[in-house]
Amino acid sequence: MKQISKVLLFACCLLISFNALKGQETGKLPLISGNYILLPAEQFLLDLQKQTGYRFYFDTTHLDSLRVNGSFRDQPLNAVLDQVFEGTGIGHAISIGSKRVFISKGLQVKTSLPDDFFGVQGQAPKDVAATEQTLTDYVDGNQKTPAATLENKLYVIGDKLAAGSGGNVTIAGYLHDIKTGEPVIGASIYIDKPRINAITDQFGYYSLIVPKGRHTLNIQSLNMKDTRRQVMIYQDGKLNIDLYSQVTALKHVVVSSEKTNAVRNMQMGVQKIDIKAIKQVPVVFGEADVLRVVLTLPGVKSVGEASTGLNVRGGSADQNLILFNDATIFNPAHFFGMFSAFNPEVVKDVQLYKSGIPAKYGGRLSSVLEINSREGNKKNFTGSAGIGLLTSRVNIEGPIVKDKTSFIFGGRTTYANWLLNLLPEEYKHSKASFYDLNLNITHEINKKNSLYLTTYMSRDRFNLNNDTSYNYSNRNVSLKWKHTFNNKWFMILAGGYDFYEYGIGSTRNKINAYKMGFDLSQSYFKAHVNYFANAKQTIEFGVNAVRYELHPGSFKPDGAQSLVAPVIMPSEQALESAVYLSDKYAFSPEFSVEAGLRYSVYTFLGPQSVNNYLPGVPKTESTLTGTTLYDKGKGIKTYHGGEVRLSARYAFNNVMSIKAGYNSQRQYVHMLSNTAAMAPTDIWKLSDPNIRPQYGDQFSVGLYRNFKSNTIETSVEVYYKRIKDYLDYKSGAQLVLNPHIETDVMNTEGKAYGVELMIKKTAGKFNGWFSYTWSRTLLQMNDPAVGTPINNGKWYPANYDKPHDLTFVGNYRISHRFSISLNTSYSTGRPITLPIARFYYAGSERTLYSDRNMYRIPDYFRTDFSMNIEGNHKVHQLTHNSWTIGVYNLTGRKNPYSVYYVSENGVVNGYKLSIFGNAIPYVNFNIRF
Amino acid sequence: MRIIIGILAVILLAGCKEKYTPKLNNATTAYLVVEGFINSSGGASTFVLTRTTRLTDPGKIVYERGAMVKITSELGKVYPLTETSPGTYTSAALTLDKNDRYRLSIQAGGKEYLSDYSKMRNTPAIDSVSWQLENNGLQLYVNTHDPKDSTRYYQWKHEQTWEFHSSYTTSLKYSYDNQNNITGVTYRLPSRSADMSVYRCWQSEKLQSISIGSSEKLSKDVIHAPLIQIPKNSWKVSVLYSVLVKQYALSREAYKFFEEMKRNTEQLGSIFDAQPSANTGNLRCVTKPDEVVIGFVEVSEEKEKRLFISAAQLPADWAYVQPCEAIQVKPNNIDTIRSMAGYLPTDPVDYAPSGAIVTLGFGTPSCIDCTLRGTNVKPSFWP
Repeated sequence: MKQISKVLLFACCLLISFNALKGQETGKLPLISGNYILLPAEQFLLDLQKQTGYRFYFDTTHLDSLRVNGSFRDQPLNAVLDQVFEGTGIGHAISIGSKRVFISKGLQVKTSLPDDFFGVQGQAPKDVAATEQTLTDYVDGNQKTPAATLENKLYVIGDKLAAGSGGNVTIAGYLHDIKTGEPVIGASIYIDKPRINAITDQFGYYSLIVPKGRHTLNIQSLNMKDTRRQVMIYQDGKLNIDLYSQVTALKHVVVSSEKTNAVRNMQMGVQKIDIKAIKQVPVVFGEADVLRVVLTLPGVKSVGEASTGLNVRGGSADQNLILFNDATIFNPAHFFGMFSAFNPEVVKDVQLYKSGIPAKYGGRLSSVLEINSREGNKKNFTGSAGIGLLTSRVNIEGPIVKDKTSFIFGGRTTYANWLLNLLPEEYKHSKASFYDLNLNITHEINKKNSLYLTTYMSRDRFNLNNDTSYNYSNRNVSLKWKHTFNNKWFMILAGGYDFYEYGIGSTRNKINAYKMGFDLSQSYFKAHVNYFANAKQTIEFGVNAVRYELHPGSFKPDGAQSLVAPVIMPSEQALESAVYLSDKYAFSPEFSVEAGLRYSVYTFLGPQSVNNYLPGVPKTESTLTGTTLYDKGKGIKTYHGGEVRLSARYAFNNVMSIKAGYNSQRQYVHMLSNTAAMAPTDIWKLSDPNIRPQYGDQFSVGLYRNFKSNTIETSVEVYYKRIKDYLDYKSGAQLVLNPHIETDVMNTEGKAYGVELMIKKTAGKFNGWFSYTWSRTLLQMNDPAVGTPINNGKWYPANYDKPHDLTFVGNYRISHRFSISLNTSYSTGRPITLPIARFYYAGSERTLYSDRNMYRIPDYFRTDFSMNIEGNHKVHQLTHNSWTIGVYNLTGRKNPYSVYYVSENGVVNGYKLSIFGNAIPYVNFNIRF
Repeated sequence: MRIIIGILAVILLAGCKEKYTPKLNNATTAYLVVEGFINSSGGASTFVLTRTTRLTDPGKIVYERGAMVKITSELGKVYPLTETSPGTYTSAALTLDKNDRYRLSIQAGGKEYLSDYSKMRNTPAIDSVSWQLENNGLQLYVNTHDPKDSTRYYQWKHEQTWEFHSSYTTSLKYSYDNQNNITGVTYRLPSRSADMSVYRCWQSEKLQSISIGSSEKLSKDVIHAPLIQIPKNSWKVSVLYSVLVKQYALSREAYKFFEEMKRNTEQLGSIFDAQPSANTGNLRCVTKPDEVVIGFVEVSEEKEKRLFISAAQLPADWAYVQPCEAIQVKPNNIDTIRSMAGYLPTDPVDYAPSGAIVTLGFGTPSCIDCTLRGTNVKPSFWP
């Protein structure tokens, strides 16, 4: 029951003197007496109206569920109102002369006209209808389009008189963050009746075709407050909308695949999570961890808790393209794999493509993990800092040139040595440290040209018990230029340099003191063109080129006494180029298809000496016939082939769709490892005449259904994947500093298949997701011409084959300042190789191994819990604080990481190794400024 | 904060590793295991033949008895071995020909097994066995070099022996009746002096792990390899310690075999373990080619060196202290003595005018009778 319309309120405000209550006039106010116990505010106001004879104007929606509690005895009206509405953001204006009281929220009740009101207007409104008074600014949009910022104001677009009745009109414009000026990308903007929906593009641009008349535009976006705008549309026009970013981390959804997107968009096998969701998931030591959260998604597994190596739908850890902005990160882990190498303060969101990989990406078989960083604040300097038990981090961002150029800097470091010093004597002298640094600069040259610079560096060092020291480092720089030709065409040019190195050294034994090094670098260039042909069709095409340079290993003496003979393996280099074209076409609103083709060419380049082997027999040192020398720059071996990316979607209705896809991939660089976990000492190898590139393809089908106004998303995806020429190691393989590494590895075939179920609740006090995956990953080596068949040529499970995998991630917001999160996961134990027999040799009982991966470790189960406590929510304070307190592995279950037998003091003992054998409490303190 | 840190430390570490025996359903394998080498030093060659056992049968060694074992050469020489103890086969002292190649031939369980031919390989002499104090312990190194830079791969075996003394001397012992009940104490020796046969003893320890080293990555064939670590205050260095180190030259293949065996059986349990894998060696079953045979047999020379370290060479704070209990009791009657069962008597403390013992000492048995922890037979090489 609306006492009076907002619009009329607005109109009336024009007549009131805002200074009415200043000074001595307060004495003339009526006095209020009464006892109110939990009385709805609306009734309270009506009661006042009776008591005072004043007329009260208010909007019931503002009063919401507010209830009044209090006892008043002869108190002036304004004091009573002050007291009742304290802290609610509701203000009041009292006009004594006209005996009127205006209760308002959000809107500032102005009692006089802005100075230029009539100036801009040019003329007083001839129509008495107050609704249209201020809004002729919006007529036709040729003028600079001001932004609509108010929810309850009616914005009129077009001229009522010029417009006929009936028919559709187009409304378009940009969405911006009111605070930082950044475009709001991927926001959903829709009207309810009829249901018409649009998503903003990468510039924050939207376009909606709607029937003429009055509508409520609803806007929903990640990180932004859901909002709406009242519009009256008579003609085509523009409306820019400024959105408020979410002030509190607690207020919004955990999962961010844009609402309805899972059903409506073309992509399948794609998951997107924003940093707020990532920060809510409890993790060990409380360090918000991008990769750990990715691991909770269906179809993503790892061999164990110490590994951030992702196994996506049966792929190995090196088959993921991990892109930080455009830079490839070769080793995404810190601290023995306990942490991921991405500073959560800088990350904006993470997108994982498990299938339906866009044609613009190539070079890896299994997945693409895009980690997008935030752009710096273009308007103000801000920052944040966090203190945890093991790490601290800081980030600062701000404008270099206001509204044009901004930067964001993030840094993180650890002080984990105290932890290692608490270890038993045998580990006590261990040391571990890492840091990572990010600096991103965004520069807007003009509306059509923008430059983005991303730099990243990480470094890890550790030594275990003063003996061998390890270090590794990622370094990346990329520069991207985005040019918009017009609203239909845009282009992105990017170039950059990625570098990864690791080193091992030991000086304990002076004679054998050594330094070992490995590094891999790639320089790349990408050109990408996007063409929005029309509402039905989008075409993308481009070229990529990557030049690899790999130093497979150097081994050098360290110190004058060292007798180590220096070995420097010759560098390997190669060029990979690709062209691609993809076309997204909507045959109808229900049925759309995206077809992409990518053709890649890879050339292994000289200088190089290539080993030759007898044909048709396994490559061993005894079948090595000699080497061939190639000159610098000479193309030694070329591999090439097409890659197909196909997907189709049929939407039964707004909330249900089916999708199918097929994609094939080629991978020309390989990671070689004979450890179960992704180790810092794993090396990479370029395809060469003796090592073929990997090839994989995948077919998948998915069914998507949303419930409850798209706040509950469900999906079922099924996939079948084949992998060819995956490199597995031979028994006793030597992978480092091996000049004939092809003799120690062999090509295997793989197949993976599975079903992934997911239920996600994206809004409300309770949000989160539940996922279940049943999948298998099997490998086979059955070619006697390559080597002794593994497990007699039978299919055997891969290290990360865990058939059942169940995850629950939930967050419950108790209040705006307090929320709790719970994370539970269960999976089948991973396969391991256990001995088949005992024997006695060299003074001790020992064990004999035979077939690979024939046993499994016990099943995995873990529950984590955390509480997020925010400081007060006043927007204008110097700093905002928050605490995260939690417990990792709440049940204290000793989840086995591995089970093994070892000979000790002459006898064989079986052990179970757990990384975390107990519940681990943690606390984190964050501060934003 | 302190509490959290404390908890963290305990959790992170203590909870990590625990004994565990997975339920396995291994079939019986009974593969032949051959250990030994063809000795080119002029002495006898000894091989031990065993069979693999089920993983669920720990601590059991199944010796292969009654096998026909011989060393044969490429030039047709045959040297038979005889079974000297169950599963142990020994040859006569052999003089081998530098230009010939040798292998082991076994007939066991109705099948024939052969090793690959191997040529004679010279083992450089051990330059020294050295030691130094590091990491709160005593670290022993073996040092050797090959002037021809051709050996490159080495294996060591060693046997440690140490002299140790009881913490207390004893001149008394229990006396027993026919039913083996303690009746009192009596002097061990007619002279009533301390019985030194339970005061001075020796213990020894054979290597239970694979000890190999290589100079393949060095510019010269020089070895300075850590061999044995003795913790500070160990009883091994309480009086006099000795180690006999034996050195063997290996082929690269044999080195890889031992390296893999070490990796499979001794070096597991870290986060970044290499995964264990099949590893068999250079023997094969001729009768049934896909049968697994474990072992690596080749010709090698044995070189040895002995080192002594006396407690006097070590810092004073290295003195070994045995945890012992010493008690004085009186009166010397059967009830008192029987109440001390579980201890051993040491020496009289005071006497009655009659000369009978009134007060006497007792102590922890292992602190009194050294034969409880070793042997009182002095090794022949002991100074």
